[in-house]
Amino acid sequence: MTAPETSIKNRPQFINVRVLRQDEPGAKSYWELHKIKYEREMNVISVLQRIAAQATTVDGKKVTPVAWDCGCLEEVCGSCTMVINGRVRQSCSALVDRLLADNPDEIVLEPMTKFPVVRDLMVDRARLFRSLKRIQGWVPVDSYYNLGPGERIPREDQERNYPLSQCMSCGCCLDACPQYQKIELTQNEGESDEEFEQRQNAEFDEAFIGAAAISQAMLFNNHPTGKALAAERLEALSGPGGITTCGNAQNCVAVCPKEIPLTRSIARTGRATTLHAIKKWFER
Amino acid sequence: MAELTRSQSFFIRHEFGIRRLHSLLGIVPLGLYMCIHLVTNASLMGGAAPFQHAVFWIHSLGPALPILEWGGIFLPLLFHAIIGVWIIRTGKSNTSQYSFTSNKRYKWQRWTGLIAFVFLMFHVLHLHGWFHITPWLAVMQPLGFAQFYPYNAASSLAAAMDQWIWGFWPAFYLVGVMATVYHLANGLWTAGITWGLWTSATAMQRATKVCTVFGVLLGMVALTAWWAAVSMGPADIAAAREKEQEMYDAAVATGLAFDDPHKRAGNDHAEPLSEVDVEAVIIEETIVVEPDSQ
Ligand code: SF4
Ligand code: SF4
Ligand code: FES
Repeated sequence: MTAPETSIKNRPQFINVRVLRQDEPGAKSYWELHKIKYEREMNVISVLQRIAAQATTVDGKKVTPVAWDCGCLEEVCGSCTMVINGRVRQSCSALVDRLLADNPDEIVLEPMTKFPVVRDLMVDRARLFRSLKRIQGWVPVDSYYNLGPGERIPREDQERNYPLSQCMSCGCCLDACPQYQKIELTQNEGESDEEFEQRQNAEFDEAFIGAAAISQAMLFNNHPTGKALAAERLEALSGPGGITTCGNAQNCVAVCPKEIPLTRSIARTGRATTLHAIKKWFER
Repeated sequence: MAELTRSQSFFIRHEFGIRRLHSLLGIVPLGLYMCIHLVTNASLMGGAAPFQHAVFWIHSLGPALPILEWGGIFLPLLFHAIIGVWIIRTGKSNTSQYSFTSNKRYKWQRWTGLIAFVFLMFHVLHLHGWFHITPWLAVMQPLGFAQFYPYNAASSLAAAMDQWIWGFWPAFYLVGVMATVYHLANGLWTAGITWGLWTSATAMQRATKVCTVFGVLLGMVALTAWWAAVSMGPADIAAAREKEQEMYDAAVATGLAFDDPHKRAGNDHAEPLSEVDVEAVIIEETIVVEPDSQ
């Protein structure tokens, strides 16, 4: 990452920040305007820290601090993802000076649009993790016995896999995807947590799996040990909400902060599922 | 999730196959047929004769033609269109928020698909009529549909373009055919991703260029075909009708055409009439014969 442009001549004294807030899951959301003092080289996280510290809107009304999520502060955990000035991205790597260069009037912060809001800017991305389970996004090793040294990975495969391995499950690719629709269920009265989770998972498992998991399936199918599950992954991707739901809008690849070649993974999945289907047909 | 109906669950269980079939049918037979169709029609630019010749050749299939029409064109088209509408409903376009080119292409692919659907439904009704059953035609022809007579190909096509309010059909066809050309050219590109033909970003860019060139060429063919059909005046139509008559006589003599009055303009009542048909046919006659007398 390069240093932010510091050449802005007329530094503002204050920054207006418009936040889309929501008090609890399922509640109505509402806008709130905050004003904080400008400091040099802020990112959106530091803006949110100031907002939480003052907990007062622009017209002097005392409010609860705005809630948000963050972890690594260096764009590798994905937890701080939100919609900033209309575009989904990480708030830790969203630099205020750049945002102001694009829109000097205000910074607009909204929660991600495809996941249920927990509170304010925090969302529940359980569906994303469920999608990784759907494709068994792991290398199947249990440590019951020694498997011996692993297979050598050709350089070509390493180069193909490394970019895919950088996915941090942030969900940007899903938020920007026109084929990925929000699923938000509420627990029924008398429904146990387990029953609710089961119902939710059933719903998740038939909805679009999304670019991130498709790409992870290609990562593990190209891994010498991971490929033991290749057929099962392709089977999952050929099922409901699998690869065919993709409409090739290619927003995913355009917004992925890790610049993961998602559309390549999607096309590779298209090819692999084609061959898988033909193979299955003749093996019946 | 609410209880699924049986057809919904059938759809979900076979989604992969159904959507791959949707993709395949869009190319073969539909895309391929569209190319042949447009090239055939563009031959009208060279006069009524080459066009009539091509149509004779197509219609020499005789009784096998309706089977080919339904099995090879109409049914695949209906399948592609109905599944297409379902696909559109699964998406929610967001181009105002993310205005990337590929995202706009995604949106246009859906819009042109819808336009093409409406266009083709009316196009087939307008010229072909969908069903060649006498009672059906007796209703449709007076309404200005089923206007194409294969053995008077150029003249009946040109006359049909001139019906209703001036300029309606030409404008309708121009918008419809251009939307369909876009839908095919862009659809080839997405099909290449769907089937995994082009996978890398550079390959996709190259494929975009190829599909663009294809689209522009097919668009020019389509424009030619369109102009050939809409630019014929009354005098051209009369001249074409004469030429067609000559060719018809020769074609019947050589066995290329059958003596089928249904395929001839203003002539489809030569066969014995059943009682029910009489009244309808009389209405029909007054209208269908009209372009002749000009
Ligand atoms: S693929 Fe990119 S955008 Fe999608 S979850 Fe992974 S890192 Fe985020
Ligand atoms: S290419 Fe597919 S996964 Fe990516 S944004 Fe478009 S529809 Fe979604
Ligand atoms: S805090 Fe980890 S990506 Fe922003």
